[in-house]
Amino acid sequence: MLGIESATAQVGVAVGGHEGVLASAHSACDRRHAENLTPQIEFVCQQAGISMKEISVVAVDIGPGLFTGLRVGIAAAMAVAYGLGVPMIGVSSLDLGAFAAAQSRRLIMPCYDARRGEVFTASYRAVPGGVQRISDPSVSTPDELAAELVALSQDVLMLGDGAERYLEVFGVLGNVEFAGANLNYPSARSLVELAHPKAMREEFVSPSDIDPLYIRLPDAEINWKTRDNS
Amino acid sequence: MLTVVTSSPEETGSLAQVLADLAEPGDVLVLVGGLGAGKTAFSKAYGEALGVTEPMTSPTFTLAREYQGRFSLHHLDVYRLEQMVEVLDLDLPELLDSGGVVLIEWGDMILPMLPADYLEVRFTFGDGDDDRSIDLTCVGPRWSGREARIAGACSRCFPTSTDTGDASC
Repeated sequence: MLGIESATAQVGVAVGGHEGVLASAHSACDRRHAENLTPQIEFVCQQAGISMKEISVVAVDIGPGLFTGLRVGIAAAMAVAYGLGVPMIGVSSLDLGAFAAAQSRRLIMPCYDARRGEVFTASYRAVPGGVQRISDPSVSTPDELAAELVALSQDVLMLGDGAERYLEVFGVLGNVEFAGANLNYPSARSLVELAHPKAMREEFVSPSDIDPLYIRLPDAEINWKTRDNS
Repeated sequence: MLTVVTSSPEETGSLAQVLADLAEPGDVLVLVGGLGAGKTAFSKAYGEALGVTEPMTSPTFTLAREYQGRFSLHHLDVYRLEQMVEVLDLDLPELLDSGGVVLIEWGDMILPMLPADYLEVRFTFGDGDDDRSIDLTCVGPRWSGREARIAGACSRCFPTSTDTGDASC
């Protein structure tokens, strides 16, 4: 399995299979997703000692996240899957973030920077073998999210670059703990680990059915009376 | 709302320069007006005043172009888009968060997708071929706080400009 993750400022690639993750590479150089992705794919395949032809499924992070990165990662993952004629598995960035903190007994809330004063988040709890999502992914301002957290009677573990960026908003809440900067970005390792059982259950999708998770999907046509009359 | 009347593309360019001199990273200018109303001419003058040296071309078919001036300048045109969701692909939040200035032609067509703060620049044709009435409307706290400065700069450059003091800001 090849995993490509590019929903945040980081771009990551990992390969693995039944034996776990064999190799991975991550870089977080601002807006260099496109430049770094292909060399990273070559590098991890080389390090794992496998050829591209041996890949039988491509897993990809479908967001929510930053569009520049997501576009690059999803396009590359689809290209590889089309080229090899193999199926895909799409996983949410928030699932990946929560999965990396699955040992916590607290309510797990990955929180990624959506830019322009907003964050993407969802809440999870640890279950045997992973995490279970208990609220839908949403986008909100840090203040809106903090108000929701205050209303919770549970202890919360927050993680992600959004949690870190607005630490002054969340850090003062008595029931919130920050997981640390090492979990700021979802990782391609988590992607391969999380997608592997899905592959075992054959929860595949075809490359044409992979869509980025936009959260606030504005399902409307632009009203072009002006354009069409002129 | 502030109204400036110009009678040549050069005068419209002067208005663009006045506004470019007040530019701050993260600014969004929404350019509104029919075909040939002066949106692209305004953008070119704005870019020049911002220190862009390469030639600016209409982004109608490329959707977005980036230029380097005092700030990075993103010139967008949504005229070719059909669905609101396509606006997401223009990466507006990231362009603004990274300190760029964004000009959006036909931006009034994608109101639900715009950030909370922007300056609307609306071009209306006047009596003469080159006459334009240009309405500046500040939207959101970021711009309403700068309205007085904009009005001051405009009245120095265009003594006939009128500030209706409209509370739309």
